[in-house]
Amino acid sequence: MSATDLLPIDEIQRPRDREELVQCVKSCWDQERAMYPLGGETALQFGIPAQVAGVGISLAEINQVVDFPARDLTVTVEAGTAMASLNKILGDEGLSLPLHVPDVERATVGGVVAANANGPARYGMGTVRDYVIGIHAVDGSGTAFQGGGRVVKNVAGYDFCKLLTGSLGTLAIIDQVTFKLKPKPEKWISLLCSLPDWDGAENCLAALVDSETTPTAVELLSGPTEIELVAELQGDGVAVLVVSCCGTEPEVDWMQQQLEQEWQAQGLSARVVTGTDHEALWQDLVEFPAVAPTALALQANMVPSGVVGFIRQVQAIEPQFSIKAHAGNGVVLCRMPEWPTIGLTEIVVRQLQPLARQYAGNVMVLSAVGSKELTHRCVWGGTEMPFDLMGRIKEQFDPRNLLNPGRFVYP
Amino acid sequence: MIQATIPHLVEQLRSIVGSDGVLSAHSDVMVYECDGFVIEKSCPDVVVFPRTADDVSQIVRVCNDGDVPFLPRGAGTSLAGGCLPVGGGVMIVMTRMNEILEIKLRDRYAVVQPGVVNVWLTQALKGTGYHYAPDPSSQGACTIGGNVATNSGGPHTLKYGVTVNHVLGIEAVMADGRIVQMGGPAEESPGLDLVGTVVGSEGTLAIVTKVWVRLTRNPQGYRTMLGIFESVEDATNAISEIIGAGIVPAALEMMDQGILVAVEEAFKFGFPLDAQAILLIEVDGLEAGLDQQRQQIADLCMNSGGREVRLAADASERQKLWKCRKQAFGAIGRLSPSYCTQDGVVPRTQLPAILQKITETGSKYGIRIVNVFHAGDGNIHPILLFDERDPEQTRHVLEASGEILQACLDLGGSVTGEHGIGVEKISFMKKMFTENDLQVMDQLRKALNPENRLSPDKMLPTAGACGIEQKHPSRRAAL
Repeated sequence: MSATDLLPIDEIQRPRDREELVQCVKSCWDQERAMYPLGGETALQFGIPAQVAGVGISLAEINQVVDFPARDLTVTVEAGTAMASLNKILGDEGLSLPLHVPDVERATVGGVVAANANGPARYGMGTVRDYVIGIHAVDGSGTAFQGGGRVVKNVAGYDFCKLLTGSLGTLAIIDQVTFKLKPKPEKWISLLCSLPDWDGAENCLAALVDSETTPTAVELLSGPTEIELVAELQGDGVAVLVVSCCGTEPEVDWMQQQLEQEWQAQGLSARVVTGTDHEALWQDLVEFPAVAPTALALQANMVPSGVVGFIRQVQAIEPQFSIKAHAGNGVVLCRMPEWPTIGLTEIVVRQLQPLARQYAGNVMVLSAVGSKELTHRCVWGGTEMPFDLMGRIKEQFDPRNLLNPGRFVYP
Repeated sequence: MIQATIPHLVEQLRSIVGSDGVLSAHSDVMVYECDGFVIEKSCPDVVVFPRTADDVSQIVRVCNDGDVPFLPRGAGTSLAGGCLPVGGGVMIVMTRMNEILEIKLRDRYAVVQPGVVNVWLTQALKGTGYHYAPDPSSQGACTIGGNVATNSGGPHTLKYGVTVNHVLGIEAVMADGRIVQMGGPAEESPGLDLVGTVVGSEGTLAIVTKVWVRLTRNPQGYRTMLGIFESVEDATNAISEIIGAGIVPAALEMMDQGILVAVEEAFKFGFPLDAQAILLIEVDGLEAGLDQQRQQIADLCMNSGGREVRLAADASERQKLWKCRKQAFGAIGRLSPSYCTQDGVVPRTQLPAILQKITETGSKYGIRIVNVFHAGDGNIHPILLFDERDPEQTRHVLEASGEILQACLDLGGSVTGEHGIGVEKISFMKKMFTENDLQVMDQLRKALNPENRLSPDKMLPTAGACGIEQKHPSRRAAL
């Protein structure tokens, strides 16, 4: 679905550089027109459905690499750059930005940062906020500003890098980001095992906390799956665990042996996937949140020790959910191809949000296109976070409430 | 609002924390007249020691009612005047809130009060296989609340990141006295990243009363090396080569000959006194990969003109090496009665240029400057040696510092990597940021600290709007 299907916009402006972006925003400010920042348009369904008619502002043409001093392990890139393009440029220098998001040919740097989109490597390599070291943006009144810089350590001034990450384009339109980078790992493999019961699953996850291995990803999959290898392994078990490891060849070889032994001691047998098979599996794991058809996608966040209990109870409520948890991080992604028969409010607000709270967590709706129940409470609610304080920040950055109005957490 | 009289204020604060929780006699409060940035001094009117978040909330409300400025302080190790009570007011010292409340290994987090000394947490985790990664050199004294305020770094940030990368949640008292929780033990929650915004805000947006921190798995092994070089340039080239080879050491520290001599005199480690520069390099991680990395690093050092590379033979030698590095500042007393440490950052590849500039600046002002710093992430700490009883030397130190920091900006860096802006570097904010940038920062402060009673005169130039003359701390120091 395109931007004009999902948003109440009748035109899309395409500024070609920061100056033109500033002019677009100032013009909208003067006319009090709502603005909807657009990147690769891969996550437009995220948030409360937009109601206020306005204009789309596409960053697609603001897409240059500004500075890439590879030996400093940093890159400065404009927000409209596709993640795939950035990955190629970095890869050619033996570097990487280990943020793995679906649909990389379309997903843009600005969108990834604005939506705080993260992937399976978050366990070993961190998330978007750990990599953004500098940011340029334009606030709701058309004021262009920056925070951070181009060096990996910097505490000068307030941290706009953190403030704007995940702000969903509601404080400012990001036009340029500086990232710190990591060297590309020499080798990357995955080990899978089938978990026959839930107590065993929790024991296995708890044992990983004590393991001397240093996995990059700890993924727990359960329920219906389109990933062939996972379906094959799951059999009569309750779930499949995928542990991915990367590093130098001796390190990865050691971790493989070590995990095989640890799992053997728990009565579990490891299936090792390497080379192009690992790459294909990894791609499937990364694409999970965006697989079609998906009527409903949720993200539940909680303490890692709550993941097994949460998944068990979710499946008791609705066995149709495909589930993939970043189990080491306490992030559980749930997807359904059709609408839950009991309705969105019932399932999210009355059942899943209280369930997540038992594990010190919360539930956000990632997408539910067409639902009439996407209220603030449903999409963002069920937590005690100080949304009113966030609202005060919003008022300062976007006093006329023109940037993605009504879509985020502000009261 | 009419400013409250001090006796009335003291009475109100005693009713919150008890008599033993309030200091007001001049001889008592002058202990708090400065932090690690000794050039600037200003006494608070009252010092108060809360024990709970509720105490802090009540104290803040009393200050607001009396229109009295207030600010938090931990151990006072700030090197930028972050705890300086500009204009007096109430200093809220958090050191009695010093308990580790919870350690949850299964979920890899701990919950601590802000007055917990940084190293206490890692000590409490001994034997668990986990530690708290941010380890500033002052970790034996600095508090986690203070680390949160300044987004503290330390020698291991190259691999492990800074404080904000290890904070999951914060409970804080806001400028109006309200207690809020941002984030928590779950890694993500809906909304803005208030945690990431408050960490590093130098006590100007909130007073931290509880922190959920991420715990880090202990590495399986370490290899700690000392690279010995005939020149600073060779050492900085070696750094570039190591990073350029795709190796990310856990730590990569440099000490030049000046500081080396003082450290050797103090600790008698066996440093070669004729070396112009040494690199303390540590790789950590899986044993299976460490020897290969160690060899690679040694080869790169030697190919960059290194004299030799010594490997720490065992854990105790490793500890001793780190002790020398972390206590280097303590050895400076052997070199001069006073010192001023700067905290600039440049891209790594610009290290030779900034070190050259530091040498030239020292010559220009007749000031001896020694260097010990986090070379791996370009975070320099030139130490300017002087006698603060001599106003001319003090003036030269401030001018030289200014030139060095400007050079950092000219080379594409920052004026502070980990110490913060405090009061020391307010004048640099306009050099590093545009008027728009500062205006937007002021917008953020207005959102959360609208009355500006919490830590006033910190971090941002005094006026939010342009046109009003900013205070220049160094002028006061020269009076």
